[in-house]
Amino acid sequence: MTGFPLRMAWRQSRGAWRHFLAFFACVVLGVGALVSVGTFAANVERALGREAKSLLGGDVELRSARPLPPDAAPALARLRQAGARVTAIRELVAMARDPARGESLLVELKVVDGAYPLYGELATEPAEAMGSLGAGGGALVQRELLDRLGLRVGGRIAVGDAVLTIAGVVAREPDRPASLISLGPRVMIGARALEATGLMRFGSRVRYRTLVRLPETVAPRAAREELARALADPGVRVSSFDEAQPGLRRFFTQLTTYLGLVGLASLLVGGIGVASSVSTFLRRQVATIAILKALGAGSRTLVATYTVQTLALGLAGSVAGALLGVLLQPILIGLLSGMVPFAIESGPELGTVARGIVMGVLVSLLCALWPLLQVREVRPSLLLRRDVEAGTPGRRPWPAAIPVALGLVALCIWQAGSLKVGGIFLGASVAALGVLAALSWVLVIAARRVPRLPWPAWRQGVSSLRRPGGHPARVIVALGAGVMLLVAVALLERNIGHQIDHEQRKEAPSFFFVDVQTDQREAFARTVVEAGAAPPALTPIVRARLAAIDGAPVTREMVDGNRDDAAQERAFYFTREYVLTYAEEPPRGNAITRGRWWTAGEVATRALISVEEMAARRLGVGLGSRLTFDVQGVPIEAEITSLRKVDWQSMTMNFFVIFSPGALAGAPATYVASARVPAAAEAALQNAVVAAFPNVTAVPVRDILERVSAVLGEIGLAVRLIAVFTVATGIVVMAGALAATRYQRLYESVVLRTLGATRGAVARAFAVEYACLGVTAGVGGTLLAVALAWVVVHYMLDAPWTFEPAAMMAGVALTIVVAVAIGFLATFRLLGQKPLAVLRGE
Amino acid sequence: MILQVRDLSMRLASGGRPVAILDAVTFEVARGEVVAITGPSGSGKSTLLGLIAGLDTPSAGSIVVDGVNVTALGESALARFRRRAIGYVFQSYHLIPTLSALENVAIPLELAGAPAALGRAAALLADVGLAARAHHYPAQLSGGEQQRVAIARALALRPALVLADEPTGNLDSATGAAIIDLLLALNHEHGSTLLLVTHDAALAQRANRVIGLRDGRLVREPQPAAVS
Repeated sequence: MTGFPLRMAWRQSRGAWRHFLAFFACVVLGVGALVSVGTFAANVERALGREAKSLLGGDVELRSARPLPPDAAPALARLRQAGARVTAIRELVAMARDPARGESLLVELKVVDGAYPLYGELATEPAEAMGSLGAGGGALVQRELLDRLGLRVGGRIAVGDAVLTIAGVVAREPDRPASLISLGPRVMIGARALEATGLMRFGSRVRYRTLVRLPETVAPRAAREELARALADPGVRVSSFDEAQPGLRRFFTQLTTYLGLVGLASLLVGGIGVASSVSTFLRRQVATIAILKALGAGSRTLVATYTVQTLALGLAGSVAGALLGVLLQPILIGLLSGMVPFAIESGPELGTVARGIVMGVLVSLLCALWPLLQVREVRPSLLLRRDVEAGTPGRRPWPAAIPVALGLVALCIWQAGSLKVGGIFLGASVAALGVLAALSWVLVIAARRVPRLPWPAWRQGVSSLRRPGGHPARVIVALGAGVMLLVAVALLERNIGHQIDHEQRKEAPSFFFVDVQTDQREAFARTVVEAGAAPPALTPIVRARLAAIDGAPVTREMVDGNRDDAAQERAFYFTREYVLTYAEEPPRGNAITRGRWWTAGEVATRALISVEEMAARRLGVGLGSRLTFDVQGVPIEAEITSLRKVDWQSMTMNFFVIFSPGALAGAPATYVASARVPAAAEAALQNAVVAAFPNVTAVPVRDILERVSAVLGEIGLAVRLIAVFTVATGIVVMAGALAATRYQRLYESVVLRTLGATRGAVARAFAVEYACLGVTAGVGGTLLAVALAWVVVHYMLDAPWTFEPAAMMAGVALTIVVAVAIGFLATFRLLGQKPLAVLRGE
Repeated sequence: MILQVRDLSMRLASGGRPVAILDAVTFEVARGEVVAITGPSGSGKSTLLGLIAGLDTPSAGSIVVDGVNVTALGESALARFRRRAIGYVFQSYHLIPTLSALENVAIPLELAGAPAALGRAAALLADVGLAARAHHYPAQLSGGEQQRVAIARALALRPALVLADEPTGNLDSATGAAIIDLLLALNHEHGSTLLLVTHDAALAQRANRVIGLRDGRLVREPQPAAVS
């Protein structure tokens, strides 16, 4: 008995493979999408793990915005005695210029000592170029700098007040990659060269990093603990290589999570295809099932038979899909490898492959189970009077749907990796399915109600939508889901494109000028005006650190207690170097959400501050709280009298904390300014400012937006690649659903032709039907895409939404074209059948 | 008695109103008998046969086959009962199109977990004269051949009661006669009881006894002149 389901399943599949093509393809595509994303995530994770030490540059890192406090020295000395090696690095952005021609460029300056690098290898051309840094006059630069300034190795560049010889090119820097977007090419110099630049003056923004390479005998975590205990100042972040979360890792985790959800969407659309193909298959098997029951097969045996068949097919599809996912790896890596500074090897990962296969098999099983249970409802008496009760009674085993739904929910949460993300995904999926199903229902109702159309093709095509079997719902849901994803990606890209298109943002400045000194203000403004820009407004800024909240000092314990993501984000607000300003009026684009802005009378007596609302929430402060800032060792306490909402998308200077005028009177300030000139005049303005004020940094907004845009372009391509899986699955589901109506269509077309309709007339009727399906799926999918993209833009990116009628129309139009094309591919052969043969067969 | 049918009624809803397909039918069949059930189409013959096989549940009455009250059995028990006690031959053969002739015959054996099912099925096919066609699919066989396969399948587990529903209805008369010869011969050889639905009077005359049905009720029919 036990062998019967297996044997029977095999015999059934042997001849019926055609019926299962759609099933198989759906599983292959769904699992392929999941496995390709999962394998990519695993490959990145593996590369990040392998490179973790060289990415950080050491086993332990001390990082701060100020020079290390004195208590660091003895702790580091102890580690040195134990055999550790230490290197100190300073990083800042500055301007490099060609001293001969005056052309200038924003660069990321890195000051290293002889011990650098502790891990990995600094590859230079020529190879021994690193030696020249110690001597003082040399600089190593990235190739991009040479290209953009038209310089050569051996030539000279000016940085600040120093003129340095270009000693070589940095081909690979092991710890370059902290963020995805660099502000400019790397320039690497030694400590003495830095002194000569004169850039280390007050107010410059420098990142101090001290890296430690530990001997084998000392555990990184232990060394991190010890250093953290020794350094009281919470402004010094101490992390070991395995817990440092460089933006890169977080970025890839998020990217692969979202890509994974897109992949999951395609597997779920595939699930519709599986359910649809199983129920079509079973409809054709009703007679066989009845015969087997008449011969004494129990329902349980038969459910087992078809379940075995489904499982085997799901497994085969999943294995093929996993293979596809692994084979696609080089493409995905090719799309995204521009973002990482190290090689990602494309190799299969057993866990991911196994997980993809399990997902594929379970989704097939869960989606097939519902139609499979109908096997129980088939009565053997069907064989006695087929004409009396055609088909099976429509009693659906509703209670059986509960475990199926729960199983799918569990799989979604598993794939999403968190209850919250999984929940949001599920909610959105159910809503999208609901909308599409409702639209298909509306279409069918409309087809029923529509008055008799005067054109035969239309009449015939529209009436075909009411064909029994419910193919419109399947086609519209599956196709609409794919359309939704692709159009949403397009809408998002266009919306973000508006945000970062410098030409379109008339209010965006061409440059931010940073570090203008008090005594340079007038000359600086003159220079800017002479270069053709409007007179720049100079905003004073004072760098400071948060020292205490309501009198309680900010300590390392408050910051270091917890290392999860949320706590790390909170820690950022406690320990960051604040850029303070003072103002009489609230800045444009800022809205007071709590409290009110100060009056002239109030500020005369005491120091007041206005805090950005998110920062206030993270710091756990509100109106009336007192914050103490440490400005160059001087504590300044102020009371919060208002909270502000800041539009971070506005390309103006925004501040977390604004002081009342006068409160920072004694503090040494530098100035920030912005200016807009036509694109053609940008280089001249930058060169003029940099030549006159070598210490001033000109941040070119257009250039940075272009860098952002390039990265987003790569991400967009990757998302599209995965979304295409969903569309492909949707197409397969559509083809499968149409194939399920093949016999009816064949019969209809033959009857019509017998009655004198030409082949072309039948084809036109088909086209009308497919176009109706395409319009509904296209409109539904596009509307859902608008909703999805709007939610992302509004809530996640916090950016203004622009309508994109062109992209939306294109979405609908393409869907119609695809629907009609796929419809014809799935059914055109019917048109060639000879009527008489078909009618005799019936 | 191998079969006792008591007060058997079957009503079905047709077009919203109940129609009596069978109305208080009562009869018995002794072991080894060959009984023909005759009547015009729509008289309830096939329904009666189906009810005896437990393919459907009657509205009222009881059916006892080989001491088992069929009407009292649940779905799984019915499936086991059919496998063990009943062999069924349909008018339209009802072979499974995706299985070869051999595999079709092997199904009851496999369902019963019989050892060497395929070997025994091959022997059964040889008994109906189709050894050479064992690996053909139903679509590749003629109507007569398909019915032979169906007979081999029905007799595979040597059931006590063989039910044949118009076994020659889809066949030309020569082929039909050959099928009836085969059915009777095998029935005799296996010592089983044969209940045969037909509206062919000549065929009915080859049975031991004829039961007439008209509008769901038993009617008197001319009985065969001689016992075959």
